[in-house]
Amino acid sequence: MTAPGNHIPSESDLIKGCIDGDAQMQRLLYQRFSAMMYAVCLRYSENTDDANDVLQEGFIKVYKSLSKFRREGSFEGWVRRIFINTSIEHYRKKVKLYNVTEVQENTIEDDNLDALDSLATKDIMNLINELSPGYKQVFNMHVIEGYSHKEIADVLGITEGTSKSQLARAKGVLKKIIETRVENSKKSR
Amino acid sequence: MQNFKNKVYHYETPPPEEIWDRIEEELQNQKILNLHAHRKSKFLFYGATAAASVVIIFVGSLFFKKNKQTDSTANVQTKHELLAKKIEDSINLNQKILESIIHNPNEKKEIISKNLSQNANKKYLTVANPEGQPVKISPKVATLIISADHEFPPKPVWNKKIDKWQKIMLASTISPTSVNFIDLIQLAANNENIE
Repeated sequence: MTAPGNHIPSESDLIKGCIDGDAQMQRLLYQRFSAMMYAVCLRYSENTDDANDVLQEGFIKVYKSLSKFRREGSFEGWVRRIFINTSIEHYRKKVKLYNVTEVQENTIEDDNLDALDSLATKDIMNLINELSPGYKQVFNMHVIEGYSHKEIADVLGITEGTSKSQLARAKGVLKKIIETRVENSKKSR
Repeated sequence: MQNFKNKVYHYETPPPEEIWDRIEEELQNQKILNLHAHRKSKFLFYGATAAASVVIIFVGSLFFKKNKQTDSTANVQTKHELLAKKIEDSINLNQKILESIIHNPNEKKEIISKNLSQNANKKYLTVANPEGQPVKISPKVATLIISADHEFPPKPVWNKKIDKWQKIMLASTISPTSVNFIDLIQLAANNENIE
């Protein structure tokens, strides 16, 4: 239903319009989610070119799969999941993740990442993007999106142990990056 | 920790303008592809329907042809049967008439009938015409001549002809004196026996 006055279509109208192939509704859906999903793509991709490709591919998938949306959860969550999966698929074409010997999980405590809270979001994004692709995937999925290690293992085709190891290493790398930045800022003062 | 998670989770940044153009172009291409696929499927549907129709018509024609052949064969068979039945009926009728004549108390007729029955297997009977010349007639004609006086079966045309012939016979001086053709047949039969 279109909300009276401002002519902003409701989520149901958007979905229905896109299923019917309404170009205007497709554009509105893009306008509503593109900025948010582009941020997701940037976090999971190696560079902006890949992020652009994933964004395009992800939206095409969304338009194609809208008829399968059962309205059981939030629409935004459903769209986000499509973009995460598309990012992972895109990444998989380039890099293969190997199962590694399990290491002590959570060797880096979350407390060590508290320094991130004081940073601007764009800086945090840049820090995350400094991680290697394998670490970045697991870190984003577990820490930002809240996936369990089992879910990550299923999606990435690795074992839970590998997921945990990757996360621990990702946190370790992040910690080092933060420490280096802090030291550099102290020196610059 | 929660703070940075939320910040990153809800972070938004506008994508380059050209992304939408690329998406729009791809959607248009897919629409065309879908249209082509739809047309293709429509074409396939009509093609399949036409092919199915041709097959049905072909099979149907074969089926009907076969039935027609069976029917025509059956018709021919029926016609043959009817003809055979007619012939049989005719023979039976002749036989019935002959039998009725045989059992007639009239002595002459009995003799003639006897002769007729004796010559029943012959193809022709020889009778004398009004001029006294021998004429071959079929047993059927003979039967007709014999039964000309009977009401059953009614033979108005033959009765007239025979009546006319009788009158000619009566008027003739050289023909054998007889009131009807039975005498002629008898005579012919006797002549044949003599021969």
